[in-house]
Amino acid sequence: MSGNESTVDYSYKPPQKMNKKRIIKIALIVLVVGSIAAAGTIYYLFNMPHRNVQAADTDYSLKASSIVNEYLENPTLANEKYLDEEGESKIIEISGTVASIDEDFNNNKVVLLKNTEDKAGVSCTFSANTNAHTSNLEIGNSIKVKGVIRAGASFDADLEMYENVIMEKCDIIQ
Amino acid sequence: MKLNTVKKIILGAAFIGIFAFTQVSDKLTSNKTHVKFFSKTTAENIEANNYKAVSTIDTKTGDVVFSIPMQSFGFEKALMQKHFNTSKFLDTKKYPKAKLIAKITNLSAIKFDTDGDYKADVKGTLEMHGKTNAVNEKANINVKGKTITVTSDIKITLADYGIAFENGKPSTNIAKSVDVSTTAIYQNN
Repeated sequence: MSGNESTVDYSYKPPQKMNKKRIIKIALIVLVVGSIAAAGTIYYLFNMPHRNVQAADTDYSLKASSIVNEYLENPTLANEKYLDEEGESKIIEISGTVASIDEDFNNNKVVLLKNTEDKAGVSCTFSANTNAHTSNLEIGNSIKVKGVIRAGASFDADLEMYENVIMEKCDIIQ
Repeated sequence: MKLNTVKKIILGAAFIGIFAFTQVSDKLTSNKTHVKFFSKTTAENIEANNYKAVSTIDTKTGDVVFSIPMQSFGFEKALMQKHFNTSKFLDTKKYPKAKLIAKITNLSAIKFDTDGDYKADVKGTLEMHGKTNAVNEKANINVKGKTITVTSDIKITLADYGIAFENGKPSTNIAKSVDVSTTAIYQNN
């Protein structure tokens, strides 16, 4: 028999006691991880990106006349269908005839899609990165525009005129 | 002799006809508008811009109307914009438009056909969030050729329009009254 052969298994770790030191260590780790998670969440909420309308899926695809008629017939039902409680209303693709091309106060292009026989049309406001796409448009063109709806069409007795469906963040699509 | 009378009658009728069918439009319309509201608090400043309001002014009666689509108010912070639209605040799905119906009470002092700056007294009502309140403010009307620019700055007390914040965001984040400044450009005929 040679020397003292050790029978001690050095890889064996005795169960650690939940002493004060260990509890504090765990608590600190939880606190730090929790704080980082909270900070990250707050940072994200504070800097939440605006909705990318063009990248989002289209909810409805229809003719300008159709959505106008939908609103003139039953505005309550139409608002229930198209508007969202947090302002992230439906993304719509509207096909129609260009009746006018204007610019709003914010220098964004506004294209009105409306047939002469319709009482109201769909007013499509473009944005800084899509305004240039309207440069070749002419009155009478048949185009398709995708954007987010902000308000519906109606006859306003005080304005004494028809209001158009309002869409923003628009772009022309094929 | 007879032909002369007939000529006169035809001429007279044509004259009357022209006046009967000519549309004398005294109504100015504006699609070039900017409505901005600003709320200053110790926590953070809140600002929103809306470029989709539509307005009309009747230069003969002094009637002024503004129709404002609430979901067109854009905020810099996306989360703030979402909160603004919810039922806790402006409930824009239920009340998609705000409307000002007013009258220029000193209409005779405003010369829409003469270049210059005019101070208008505007009196009427503002309906927003399902609540209607009296409005009695001043507006500046600038006339330059055929372009008429109307500007105004008013203060709105949020509680008057049923906008309260007992639950939800802490009240220090939103001032009790907000500044609303409006600019609208009309083209005269």
